[in-house]
Amino acid sequence: MAATSDYDWYILFPNHHEGLRLNSELKLRGIKNTIAPTPRAASKSCGISLIVLEEDLLVIDQVIEEKRINIDKIVQLPAIKNWKFRGC
Amino acid sequence: MADYRQMWSDLNMDLEKHDLLCEVLPEAFGGVYLSQENRPQGMDFYDFVVSEIHGVRPSELVEHRKNGGKVFGTFCVYVPDEVVFAAGAIATGLCGGSQFWVPGGEKVLPANTCPLIKASVGARLDKTCPFFLIEDMVFVGETTCDGKKKAWEILNQDVPVYVLDIPQMKREKDIAAFEQEIMDFIKKVEDVTGNKITPEALGEGIKLINNKRKALQRINNTRKASPVPISGKDALLVTQIAFYDDPARCAQMGNKLADELEERIAKQEGVFPADAPRILITGTPMAIPNWKLHHIIETAGAAVVVEELCTGTRYFENLVDETQTTIEGQVRALAERYMKTNCACFTPNPGRLDDIARLVKQYNVDGVIDANLQFCGLYSTESYLVKQKMDELGIPVLHIETDYSENDFEQLRTRVEAFLEMLGK
Repeated sequence: MAATSDYDWYILFPNHHEGLRLNSELKLRGIKNTIAPTPRAASKSCGISLIVLEEDLLVIDQVIEEKRINIDKIVQLPAIKNWKFRGC
Repeated sequence: MADYRQMWSDLNMDLEKHDLLCEVLPEAFGGVYLSQENRPQGMDFYDFVVSEIHGVRPSELVEHRKNGGKVFGTFCVYVPDEVVFAAGAIATGLCGGSQFWVPGGEKVLPANTCPLIKASVGARLDKTCPFFLIEDMVFVGETTCDGKKKAWEILNQDVPVYVLDIPQMKREKDIAAFEQEIMDFIKKVEDVTGNKITPEALGEGIKLINNKRKALQRINNTRKASPVPISGKDALLVTQIAFYDDPARCAQMGNKLADELEERIAKQEGVFPADAPRILITGTPMAIPNWKLHHIIETAGAAVVVEELCTGTRYFENLVDETQTTIEGQVRALAERYMKTNCACFTPNPGRLDDIARLVKQYNVDGVIDANLQFCGLYSTESYLVKQKMDELGIPVLHIETDYSENDFEQLRTRVEAFLEMLGK
């Protein structure tokens, strides 16, 4: 998902089941979200996170509450507008 | 956040060193994959697998072990996974595709060994990959190159390695020899698991792996379309993950993705313009997370539409005959299917040249990039014959030799861009 604003918003979860549940609920509602490995700047633990758009945050909060999805936190990070190749 | 540290610690991993890999992965994956536009929704599953790459699947394998099951780790497309699953065990791919593991391999292997072998050995010796540390896992090596043959002897000092003898020619007596080798492998798997492999069980194993192949074939068939509905990078990722994932889930998720790609074709929806140059990559395997060449090609505006690689068509083309009802008949069918795969370890190996020529036509390819990992004498030498064959067909070829590092990234990009310009599209 290419960044259109200055920040990316990452939703972090206690486990992948919760992450996949939210991913599925958001897809059902047509809300854009991308599964991504959690960046180190957001958490020292690895695993899935969801990248979402800032303008969708309010409605995503509602989905989280309505579906009782457990999340760890929502983290705002500077958007990477020009991804550079990095091997690993 | 998902915390797998306890599991990693129980597996005796070097957590501090492994953490360095965890730190790099999000940026590496983001740069190659999340920077793409209009990816199929079905790629969500594969993004999830990568995000949890050292967590979800290893924890399934650990659970399988706790329940008394056995795990077999393999390094090659010639190992018949059907046999392993027929005994109620799990086979998982172990090939290393990361530069991170190369120095660990170089501690015991010559520097002029191919990076795939160095990374595979290094991942085990450095204790930085959970797949290599599953308790009592049976490592299954094979004889597809000299580097591997010697590496197994060294790896065997750390963990027992069972070696499958792969024929080097394809005469009838070689196919018969491979039949016997599969029979011996069945005995080994039965001894390890304590489970008898019946014709019914092997029949189920054959169907299981065939179904995975069929799903991968469906996905790859969609890449014949113009505009192509999925990037080469994404298609490569799907194949890479197929080596590790549960085969039934792999087939299920693959078919789901294929449904979406077929819908895209019906809507003329693609990820590259219809006139983008169409590239076939042939050569040595690209084990996860080796995405370098695909990234260079596709960020230069061309689409990789097919891979004649072990992480490509060699992995999923050709099905095993499902009609056999005796172990002897099934083993013959397995030997025949696996001996249809054309690796450069065979001499002569005209089948591979024919495969490339056929794929060039089927996928309407504009140019071939023949890429081999450094120090792979087999594929490097065969590149002469690949070029000769493509010259006959009038298909431009670029031969590349590279490794897992970032050092040659810009040089490769310059060469690839010049090649694409030469295609004149």
